[in-house]
Amino acid sequence: MVATELNTSIANLRDLRASDLRHYDAVYLGDIYCRLYECNFLERPEDLREGLHILRDQGKRAYVASYAAPRNDYLPRVRKTLEVAAREVAEAVEAHNLGIVKIAHDEFPGLAVHIGGFANVYTDAGVEVLRGLGAVRFTPNYELSLEEIRTIGSTCGLPMELLIHGKMPLGVSDYCFLLDYEEKWGVKCPDLCQKDLFLRQGDWAMKSVGKGIMSGKDVCMLEHLPRLLADGHRHFRIESVSETPEYRHQVAGVYREALARAAEAAFEQDERWWRLVRAHARIGLCNGFYFGKSGMEYAGIRPEAAGSLLTISSADRAG
Amino acid sequence: MVELLAPAGNLSMVETAVASGANAIYVGPRGWSRRRDRYELAEEEVHDAIAIAHAGGAKMRVAVNTNMQSHEIPPLLQKMERFVGWGVDGAIMTDIGAIAEVHRRFPQLTIHASIGANILNNEDVRFYRSLGVSQVVADTKLTLKELASRKEQIDVGIEILIHANYCYTYLGKCWMSPYHRLERTTDPSGKDLFKGSPNRGGLDYRVCLESWQLFSGDAKWEDRVGLKNDAFFLVEDIPHLIDLGVHCLKIQGREYPVPLVGEMVRFYRGLIDAYLAHPKGQPFDIAPWQSRLAVFEADRNATRSEGTRLLLIEARQPIPTA
Repeated sequence: MVATELNTSIANLRDLRASDLRHYDAVYLGDIYCRLYECNFLERPEDLREGLHILRDQGKRAYVASYAAPRNDYLPRVRKTLEVAAREVAEAVEAHNLGIVKIAHDEFPGLAVHIGGFANVYTDAGVEVLRGLGAVRFTPNYELSLEEIRTIGSTCGLPMELLIHGKMPLGVSDYCFLLDYEEKWGVKCPDLCQKDLFLRQGDWAMKSVGKGIMSGKDVCMLEHLPRLLADGHRHFRIESVSETPEYRHQVAGVYREALARAAEAAFEQDERWWRLVRAHARIGLCNGFYFGKSGMEYAGIRPEAAGSLLTISSADRAG
Repeated sequence: MVELLAPAGNLSMVETAVASGANAIYVGPRGWSRRRDRYELAEEEVHDAIAIAHAGGAKMRVAVNTNMQSHEIPPLLQKMERFVGWGVDGAIMTDIGAIAEVHRRFPQLTIHASIGANILNNEDVRFYRSLGVSQVVADTKLTLKELASRKEQIDVGIEILIHANYCYTYLGKCWMSPYHRLERTTDPSGKDLFKGSPNRGGLDYRVCLESWQLFSGDAKWEDRVGLKNDAFFLVEDIPHLIDLGVHCLKIQGREYPVPLVGEMVRFYRGLIDAYLAHPKGQPFDIAPWQSRLAVFEADRNATRSEGTRLLLIEARQPIPTA
């Protein structure tokens, strides 16, 4: 049995309470994109404290996220969040911003820091810089291939965390274009970004969460788990901050089973897994940049996996 | 004295920018900067560019601001060895590992943190200062208030883009383009060009400017959604920025026609000189400068729009098989 960590992200207390976390080992609390996200843990110290206790009571490792693109006026709030994380002995804080890495290092020396995907770690030399500032784990930039990640891992010796399923972050903005439509749609912030919104044109699609842009397709590394384990990876993220509690629970169930089987000599995949992950992927599945190709491509040996439910139903209709 | 920094995507542009009054020029060695390879220079051209700039009394910076691969840092250091030997005045960089290595090897070289470093707050600046960076390019979304705070609190040179586009996302924190199309090709030297990734290879297909439809679940809510992407030319703010003590005013546009770049450089040279020459405490009349700007702003916008149209067509092309 290979010991792995399966983690995810949850933005607020409501979602945390609604989520069945039995398949997870750890959870990152907070939405990294927007200060106005509904009841964002990162804006509510009391909620964050309660969230950390809930996770601890369930025997989970409790991590605290932080904003991906904080301006000067965010920093007082960031410091408050780090204070709570340190006082409540959160297992780590995730930093996507190098200024926050520096704050954590200089002002909260006991707080473990995980480097997030927006911190732009592309090189082993970059990892060394961050290790010098106390980083204990990092997520390589999403643009890196598994081959490049292996190169970094072979020299840096610091644990890595990989997104193995879910919408891949593609960008972060200071501007929520959804606010332009509040009046027209009759939907106000903070409900706007929770409407399962996709930007689409032809076969292109991206999910919008207002200030965040994510892949339209779900990154899916299900059939590649044996390779990830063989490469020495042990920390895996299911990105579910913008998903439903059902998604969070069911996809984790699939990966928990699959990780156990992937550690065995023969990796037997269960058709039920594929039905579930495809049912939750509105646009389809992709591999991100892990195989050195365009992020929306799927490079697996199960070509049908790339098809979305929408594509399939179109084909059915045509037939 | 504030410095006017101009782009050069070829040697003719270097000559024009110097002759038009730029104090400093930046070029990108092919495959290593945040621009498409056709707007970058071969190594021997970088040598000539440095000589042209110095002969005209201007400084030359080399942009090596892609997020490179781990194994590319040693060749980068060899490349920098040559550039430093040829007298380059500074390096514009993004990758924190590469910055640390270049600073360790060339401690006297001025390192500028690129726009791709996405430096948003004063703690970010302190982080880059600790790596050996002495000048930082301010993100285009920062306000004058934020810049003033930075200038007051930190000993760092500030560079401002006086002409560029506000992207929807923060520069350096976006991989929408390669998500849709990433072409892996290598140049004759073996450098991977990562076509489609602005962070890794410079070519950005500008997919954010696609005519997007917006769906909520299966229901179409909007037939056309535009992600904000406005061009800007600072004019009114130039006097404020000079008074604030910013070190460098930077023009972007290595991909533009040489005459257009020459026109932009002459315009800003004239505006800066006129403001510096006018009596302190007296009102400065900005109106004539706004009128002059309107003339070439239209040219620039037309050039960029056509470029975007072609890039979006290219982004839909299949990846050639090896």
